[in-house]
Amino acid sequence: MGESIRRPRLAPHARYRWDKVRNEHQLVFPEGMMVLNEPGKAIVELCDGRSLDEMVAALKEKFPGAEPENDVREFLGQLAERGLVNDAAAD
Amino acid sequence: MMPPPTELPRPRALLAEITYRCPLQCPYCSNPLELARYKSELDTATWVRVFEQAAELGVAQLHLSGGEPLVRRDILDLCRAARDCELYSNMSTGATVADQKMIERLREAGLDHLQVSLLDTDPEANDWLAAAPSFERKRAAVLTAKRIGFPVTLNVVLHRHNLERIGEVIDTAFAWGVDRLELANTQYTGWAFRNRAALMPTRAQVERAQRVVDEKLAASTGRLEVVHVLPDYFEEFPKACLHGWGMVFMAVAPDGAALPCQTAREIPGLEFPNVRDSSLEEIWFTSDVFQRFRGTDWLPEPCRSCDRREIDFGGCRCQAYLMTGDANATDPVCHLSPQHHLIAEALAEAEKPAPPLAFRVMRT
Repeated sequence: MGESIRRPRLAPHARYRWDKVRNEHQLVFPEGMMVLNEPGKAIVELCDGRSLDEMVAALKEKFPGAEPENDVREFLGQLAERGLVNDAAAD
Repeated sequence: MMPPPTELPRPRALLAEITYRCPLQCPYCSNPLELARYKSELDTATWVRVFEQAAELGVAQLHLSGGEPLVRRDILDLCRAARDCELYSNMSTGATVADQKMIERLREAGLDHLQVSLLDTDPEANDWLAAAPSFERKRAAVLTAKRIGFPVTLNVVLHRHNLERIGEVIDTAFAWGVDRLELANTQYTGWAFRNRAALMPTRAQVERAQRVVDEKLAASTGRLEVVHVLPDYFEEFPKACLHGWGMVFMAVAPDGAALPCQTAREIPGLEFPNVRDSSLEEIWFTSDVFQRFRGTDWLPEPCRSCDRREIDFGGCRCQAYLMTGDANATDPVCHLSPQHHLIAEALAEAEKPAPPLAFRVMRT
């Protein structure tokens, strides 16, 4: 990955979905889906154009004691590589 | 009914081919050659029941396709039904019959994503391949969809007649402001297999195209996700067709036949259950046809003892049948297939001048 994303925002073609048959969090997009764990779901929910710092602060509040910054950067990198998040700051 | 065996996977995606009718005649259409045999289409209530059953079975993603899905008069009802079942819905459309009002209504009805086909960036070539004036309508539909904020994928099927313009295709995707671009090399089943010699690119074309895509994307700063599907004839290993037969995907044809893959009707001797008579759950877990090539127990050698058996599951069954006459054979794309020479012969044929194309027709 090159520059990291400043204000992560979910791509318009990606949608979060709760799967009640499998009891799993999913991020669905035109040709596939990603199954999310709880932290993954929390990150995706925060991809609304807020800044990375704000996102990390919100996650620390939700998961007390966690130091999520590196994991968040890595996961956002994976999402960006697949075109599932983009940078609201680049508009 | 008995609870389904827990070790079996459940489907994640349903392809609803709601009609084979289409105003275009693309010579690589994935619909069956014998289109007119399947003219009796499911009614609205049956499709809605299928969507509900799909959601209960574990389907997350619904692909509304065809033919041209927009020729169904109940298309908005079907989109609303998909939303009511909480399915992620995508529509694959030629978009030639979509005016601004229709596109707005699709969005209001809850359609999540629009995938629009473009045959070529050269309007004349596009209209020749579609056998209908369609370039301007497609352009207008894409621009309208983006203006109202619809997520749009532009899908361009690649072959020897348009591969030279792959750079222009990428430029067009940027210019039209789409979110995604699918550069999908022709899969040689259905009409495309019939037209293989007329569509197959040369190796030089494929290599040049790959270079152009890499250069264009390295130089671009815009926001566009590009999915480039390489032609499997040029690869060493086959594709895991739909992640394996009966593993994550099912299709329902316009007449209600449930298919493990939309081109499975090309394989003779298979009997397809119909959603008019059985539930999707029964079909998925118990029908013979969904179990026929599921998993790895049925695999022939050299697949059976191969490290990749759970990566590609022996490749595409339709391709194996079409090329070797045996649906149980290893996909000949694999360099380990005893019939891999068939691929080499097809590629050698591509180095010669192309024969004329046969355009898709629905004889009545």
